[in-house]
Amino acid sequence: MRSRVVVFLAVLLLTLASCGGAVTISPSPSVTASSFPATLSDFQNRSVTVPARPERLVSIGPSITAFLFALGAGPRVVGVDDFSDEPAEAATREHVGGIKVNFEKVVALKPDLVFSVKFSDGTIEKLQAASLNVLVVDPQSVSDVAKTATLLGKAVGADGEALARSIQQRVDAVKAKTANVTNRPRVYHEIDASDPAKIFTVGPGSYINDLIDIAGGTNIAARAASAYPQLSAEEILKTDPEIIVLAADAYSPKPTDVAARQGWSIIAAVKNNRIVTIDPNLINRPGPRVGEAAEAYAKLVHPELFR
Amino acid sequence: MRTIGILTVLAVALVVSAAAGILVGAVAIGPSDVVAALFGSNDVNGTIIRELRLPRVLGAALVGGSLATAGALLQGLLRNPLADPFVTGTSAGATLAAVGAIALGASAPIVPLAAFAGALVAVTIVWRLARLGGSTTVLTVLLAGVVLTSFVGAVVTFILVSSDRLALRLRAVLGWLQGGVSVISWEELAVAAVIVAAGFGFALFLAHRLDAYAFGEETAATLGVDPDRTTTAVLAATALLSGAAVALAGLVGFVGLVVPHALRFAIGATHRRLIPASFFAGAAALVLADLGARVLVSPAEVPVGAITGLVGAPFFLALLVRSRRVVV
Repeated sequence: MRSRVVVFLAVLLLTLASCGGAVTISPSPSVTASSFPATLSDFQNRSVTVPARPERLVSIGPSITAFLFALGAGPRVVGVDDFSDEPAEAATREHVGGIKVNFEKVVALKPDLVFSVKFSDGTIEKLQAASLNVLVVDPQSVSDVAKTATLLGKAVGADGEALARSIQQRVDAVKAKTANVTNRPRVYHEIDASDPAKIFTVGPGSYINDLIDIAGGTNIAARAASAYPQLSAEEILKTDPEIIVLAADAYSPKPTDVAARQGWSIIAAVKNNRIVTIDPNLINRPGPRVGEAAEAYAKLVHPELFR
Repeated sequence: MRTIGILTVLAVALVVSAAAGILVGAVAIGPSDVVAALFGSNDVNGTIIRELRLPRVLGAALVGGSLATAGALLQGLLRNPLADPFVTGTSAGATLAAVGAIALGASAPIVPLAAFAGALVAVTIVWRLARLGGSTTVLTVLLAGVVLTSFVGAVVTFILVSSDRLALRLRAVLGWLQGGVSVISWEELAVAAVIVAAGFGFALFLAHRLDAYAFGEETAATLGVDPDRTTTAVLAATALLSGAAVALAGLVGFVGLVVPHALRFAIGATHRRLIPASFFAGAAALVLADLGARVLVSPAEVPVGAITGLVGAPFFLALLVRSRRVVV
């Protein structure tokens, strides 16, 4: 139970850490290929019928918001969660809460379609009980991203396939570069080291684990038991990462702090001065910028491929 | 003779606990490799043992020993078995200073230094308040400590609630409040060891005066023990001990309350025996608690404060029930 709370906190921190940043993918032309009514299967395998082209959208989830704007449905978005700030225009919409959704606000916005990430506290059921049409969209991996673009395209009546293709092309371009690398350096990606003895990192099933893979690296926690496992300092020393990646915000440790940690001087990444930082806005959200994120990560792991 | 026997048993218990603490960890390292590491093998196991596990175990021993010794001193001074090392407001002062330092963006080694300074300032305030009437009475020490602790608790709550506005690193604060020895540098350990050694020496020196205190302040005075100076001296010794402990490990509860209390039952209240016994037993107890913190939910960790509370509270209740039976 405790570890769940901790994982939740870690995910929360991730979300909080990814504030700010601009979207670089230009809106695809919304040539309506889809038709209404549309019956869709969402990320919880629920069957959701959208009777007509939705005109008032509420998005609970920063990456969903980014997708909706990338699909050209931005003008129809009337409400977003408190963390949605990509693109900058999204933050100007009515806020409907963050960790706790403000149901009254959502209902007051009179949305004809609500998008939400998964919640384990009954939020989805409460939204439905308020007679709202809810589509659960919760991309967690790189392959989910193209799927999300297609699904959201169908839901709002935009060309999701085209967005999915352009995202996939960019990801594939990075994959092609790293496909034939002979060495896959051991990567340790730090999420939070508030307690330096037990540090949160990314494990299998997490989005960043996918990015490390695509970037041609080997995640040192690839065989951990959960998506956001805790590693002890002992384990990090033992696995001897060749690259340490910090998704650094203002409060995160700096590379010099990491190098100065007790005992860490024997780690290859510290010896070879390969402690690098990456923009958390870019890599924490499985959104339309995934191609850009994969490329940025690959540049850290295999700089020689991008000369 | 009996004293030496008891102390030997407790010292052996400490050595055994420490050996277990060094042998067991997140990374499995065989006993022969551990021994090689202790004698300077130059591989990753050597670094893990020498830089991570050994300082952690020594830190836990130092913190547990200091807290239990400070608890024994204060229980003797206040003639109150409910006294713990934080009753004089040290935890409050240390908390306020540490949370304040974290809020200002400080990290090691500023946070432990701030905690130590905060603990000393708090004891000084309590001592000054207790001296307002002219002489230092133990009841006012207790009252001033309780009031200061409540007040600082309110201030810290206020800081935590407004953590958004202060951009506080909430996890860093919570980690500190829960207590834990996790990563301790050799430098921190060396500084703390010097402070603890001073406090412990002082405590031994005060032992016979505390024995006189068992009969009350007035009786102690007739026995030639100046209550005013003794109170001041005991407060100073506990400030050093508990200040060093909170600086290293944050708020670790129950060790300082339960260990001296239990020992009083087991070996009697003679402070010349009780004080060193408390140090060894407290050290062993926290080394074991930290070992439990590391292995119980491995690969994750429980804050050591949760372990000491989990084991300490029922243990304390059991002692209470037993003491009632003896009295009735």
